[in-house]
Amino acid sequence: MGILYALVGRGSVVLAEFSGTTTNASAIARQILEKIPGNNDTHVSYSQDRYIFHVKRTDGLTVLCMADDTAGRRIPFAFLEDIHQKFVRTYGRAVHSAQPYGMNEEFSRVLSQQMEYYSSDPNADRINRLKGEMSQVRNVMIENIDKVLDRGDRLELLVDKTANMQGNTFRFRKQARRFRSTVWWRNVKLTIALIVVLLVIVYVVLAFVCHGPALPSCF
Amino acid sequence: MSFQDIEAGRPFGSRRGLMNGKQDPTQAVAAGIFQINTAVSTFQRLVNTLGTPKDTLDLREKLHKTRLHIGQLVKDTSAKLKQASDIDHHAEVNASKKIADAKLAKDFQAVLKEFQKAQRLAAERETAYTPFVPQAVLPSSYTASEVDVGSDKSPEQRALLVESRRQEVLFLDNEIAFNEAIIEEREQGIQEIQQQIGEVNEIFKDLAVLVHEQGAMIDDIGSNIENSHAATAQAKSQLSKASKTQRSNSSLTCLLLVIFGIVLLIVIIVLAA
Repeated sequence: MGILYALVGRGSVVLAEFSGTTTNASAIARQILEKIPGNNDTHVSYSQDRYIFHVKRTDGLTVLCMADDTAGRRIPFAFLEDIHQKFVRTYGRAVHSAQPYGMNEEFSRVLSQQMEYYSSDPNADRINRLKGEMSQVRNVMIENIDKVLDRGDRLELLVDKTANMQGNTFRFRKQARRFRSTVWWRNVKLTIALIVVLLVIVYVVLAFVCHGPALPSCF
Repeated sequence: MSFQDIEAGRPFGSRRGLMNGKQDPTQAVAAGIFQINTAVSTFQRLVNTLGTPKDTLDLREKLHKTRLHIGQLVKDTSAKLKQASDIDHHAEVNASKKIADAKLAKDFQAVLKEFQKAQRLAAERETAYTPFVPQAVLPSSYTASEVDVGSDKSPEQRALLVESRRQEVLFLDNEIAFNEAIIEEREQGIQEIQQQIGEVNEIFKDLAVLVHEQGAMIDDIGSNIENSHAATAQAKSQLSKASKTQRSNSSLTCLLLVIFGIVLLIVIIVLAA
């Protein structure tokens, strides 16, 4: 909700006002202007039903606003301070000799803009902005946690797959070693067969040359 | 395989022992820096109160005690930091521990600088402002003028003076109530921010735990891949040797077939003749 009504006055004379809703805030505001005691600079808050009227008087100029009770005090009084500075900067010494509603035509738009700003924009208050930023950081970190958990799941799958690959490569190495052994033994057998065949041929040739199986002529 | 495991177990145990001994000075330094940070924040808050209506003799005394407390904390933490630094130089520890200690040293210097700044500001304000004495509520000019002109004042003037004084007190009470309400609201907002920061801190801790666990997983993946690479290289070597032997087998087989062919041819010729 935020700030609903704003008014700038000198003493009990209203110089500018703006109302965001159709309420009796204007009448109540005038009563408050009449009843504020003393002439000193002051900060006071009056509550009525669900709304609170915050009043700030500085250097004879009174700034008043009506806000929802959930708006607290920090933002409405920051709003009053801001309006006071803008008003003094815009009109200067003319404030003390102005007619009732003399600045209402142009300054009511400023009041409207600032009411909107202080009611809606989180940047109006540093603490609220920090709160918003911390919420964003928290959301981003929660997303990060989700992403890291997802990454963890995929890493677990990858661990399983690499473990399988490791097992397969160990098996591959074992079979490769067995295959090499098999081929080597086959080579050995072929070599032995070759030697045996050569010996047999030599024996047959000698048998023919020496005229007999017992080789009688050669010895 | 089992021999490699035995070798892996021994450095792990010694590393854990080193880590346990090493952890205490670093954690002590971190705790000390945190305490100094908290004390410096308190000191800064007290310094910000100087020059305001709450500036009293009690506040000055509290400021002095806080300053002494911070000095003591700085001395203790400096000794612990020196001890941690000596351990870094003598024992050959891993780089991450040195980086952590260097970071702690930098944090310590930052806190010291902040404290010196706050101390200088405190000295300036203590000189510029005098403490607010609550016993003498009335200004001295009132007292002097009242003493001088007391007997000459009419009851009407005295009543006006009392009324003005009462309004002044009422005004101050209103201002105090207003400021306290603003401060309470700001404190509530800051409490909420602190709570959110605490939650973010928890999230960061959880994230650190998760990332650390996943680091272990990635190490497992790395070791699996390295083992697979080694096994594949050995298998490739074995297959290469097998290929060479098989080429030799083919040569021997051809030779045997040729010899059998020649023998068969000779036998046929002899039988034909």
